[in-house]
Amino acid sequence: MKKSVYGILSLAVLFTAGCSSKNAVAPSGGADAGAGAGVPAPAPVTSVEAGPSGYGFDEYQTGPLGDVFYEFDSSELSSDAQNQLQQNATWMGNNAGASTLIEGHCDERGTSEYNMALGERRATNAKEYIVRLGIPSSRIETVSYGEEKPFAAGHDESAWSKNRRAHFILK
Amino acid sequence: MRLLMRPAAAFLLTFLLSLAFSLPARATDGEYIAIRKEGSGRIALIVAPPLAEGGKASSWSGEIDREIRRALDFTGLFNMIPPPMNLFEEGKGGKPALNFGALNSIGAEVFAGGTVSGDPDRVRLTMAAYETFGAKPILSKTYTGSSGDLRALAHAFCADLVQLLTGHRSVFGSSIVFVSNQSGFKEIYSCAFDGSNVRQLTRSRSISLTPALSPDGTSLAFTDYTSGRPALKIMNLSDRRIASVRQSGVSIDPGWRSNAEVATTLSFQGDQEIYLVRTDGSLSRRVTSSRGIDLSPSFSPDGSRMAFVSARYGNPQIFILDLISGQTRRLTYNGNYNTQPSWSPAGDKIAYSSMEKNGEINIFTIRADGSGATQLTSGDRENESPSWSPGGDMIVFTSSRQGQKKLYVMNANGEHQRRLLQMSGEQMQPSWSFVR
Repeated sequence: MKKSVYGILSLAVLFTAGCSSKNAVAPSGGADAGAGAGVPAPAPVTSVEAGPSGYGFDEYQTGPLGDVFYEFDSSELSSDAQNQLQQNATWMGNNAGASTLIEGHCDERGTSEYNMALGERRATNAKEYIVRLGIPSSRIETVSYGEEKPFAAGHDESAWSKNRRAHFILK
Repeated sequence: MRLLMRPAAAFLLTFLLSLAFSLPARATDGEYIAIRKEGSGRIALIVAPPLAEGGKASSWSGEIDREIRRALDFTGLFNMIPPPMNLFEEGKGGKPALNFGALNSIGAEVFAGGTVSGDPDRVRLTMAAYETFGAKPILSKTYTGSSGDLRALAHAFCADLVQLLTGHRSVFGSSIVFVSNQSGFKEIYSCAFDGSNVRQLTRSRSISLTPALSPDGTSLAFTDYTSGRPALKIMNLSDRRIASVRQSGVSIDPGWRSNAEVATTLSFQGDQEIYLVRTDGSLSRRVTSSRGIDLSPSFSPDGSRMAFVSARYGNPQIFILDLISGQTRRLTYNGNYNTQPSWSPAGDKIAYSSMEKNGEINIFTIRADGSGATQLTSGDRENESPSWSPGGDMIVFTSSRQGQKKLYVMNANGEHQRRLLQMSGEQMQPSWSFVR
């Protein structure tokens, strides 16, 4: 059961990566992440290695739960983000013992107090979305780091777009 | 020049000391400023080194003179003119007297001078100030302390002089708390009004943010991540004991309403709202109730109104809540990103930062009725986190104009912008204490 669901997820992720140009990032260490989560990697579909990759996965997210990204000064969930959260909810549904911490992050622009508040809204919006899909809220914690712990260095949109995220950590 | 003055010293000393005992300690506040034209600029001031009585006193005189000049110049209120060679003239009966004609002819409005005497355990600094037009004495006072207190003696005189001339509290004796990442972690520091005497107040090695001193200066509110999430901490500065707000969710950006109550954003009820919290960390009451971000409380001096940031209409704007009537009204309408309100000590204005479309952030002031928005910084990257000096003459802020974030000060009208302190790493989120 787990295996088949995961295979479908991987396909969906790959498909999403193909469509999403805005936040597309290089696939990374997908097989490692799959092994780390105790889930066997499905057979390769293309030349790209199977496992978590695409929209929610990059060098900063190699776990089984993908991150979601935001526009500037926004905590609204794009369709890509909603798609990723659905996948995260499916994974959590299949791994009932797992719980997660969602960190809300912002890019460096704007003022840090407001970004702290915005980061929390990003984390809680992501949590609420997953809870609405049936995952108990007790399994999801949230925290905001505002602009305090950026992932990508740099002062341009390529760095900023990576730093506006809800980051999932398996607990 | 001091050589020229020495023969006159003994006579002048007698003259000034007699004034010290004959004048009230302080003239009526605001009397001087009342006769100045509105917006007439800096006060032309001549300060003479205090005349020394005795060998030890001559070294004290130099130090006191330097400190008085440096401190008064820091305020940005004065145009400091060097004393003229002919500061003294022959007065009645052949005794030397202050040459007010010479002081007036070089444009001085105020002259200050005095005497210093005593022994290392008990230094006596007697200072007098005159309005030069009319040769009118406006201040005379004696300050005593040990020879280790010369800076404090000088600042005490500067505080009295500025309060007399402006009618409100000076910066002297006040302090500024701020965040620096100098140690590799963001920790809270304090420094004196002029950037001297930097001290590290927290060593949590997590992320400490948004420090704010209580109005009486005894408590420091800030947030840190020692619990894994940003939580409000209230430190008693006398014994360094820390009270925490033990609520789930985040706490963001405290602002003091009184010595007993601090407001902060908490999210334990789901939505982010502003609550009043007692100094022991217990909740007093909730003061906002709108969906979306409510943030960064800053109170009017009487505590009856609260400026804050709300994103209730989409992007962040500044609002004012009247805590008596419960009415909320929007204060800012220009720009799409107005945050970090700071209510002036006089109560009439609110400083805030506004981000432009190109990412530049600038500091503005606006009257509490929403009129008179005035831009104080421009064209220099991110200028943010404004905080008023105790008398409202100056604003301390963060600027990245030279790359890294550093602390700057400026006059309340935006003039005289300069670095506050030299310190490695970045400094940010300054908050000026209202205490002396």
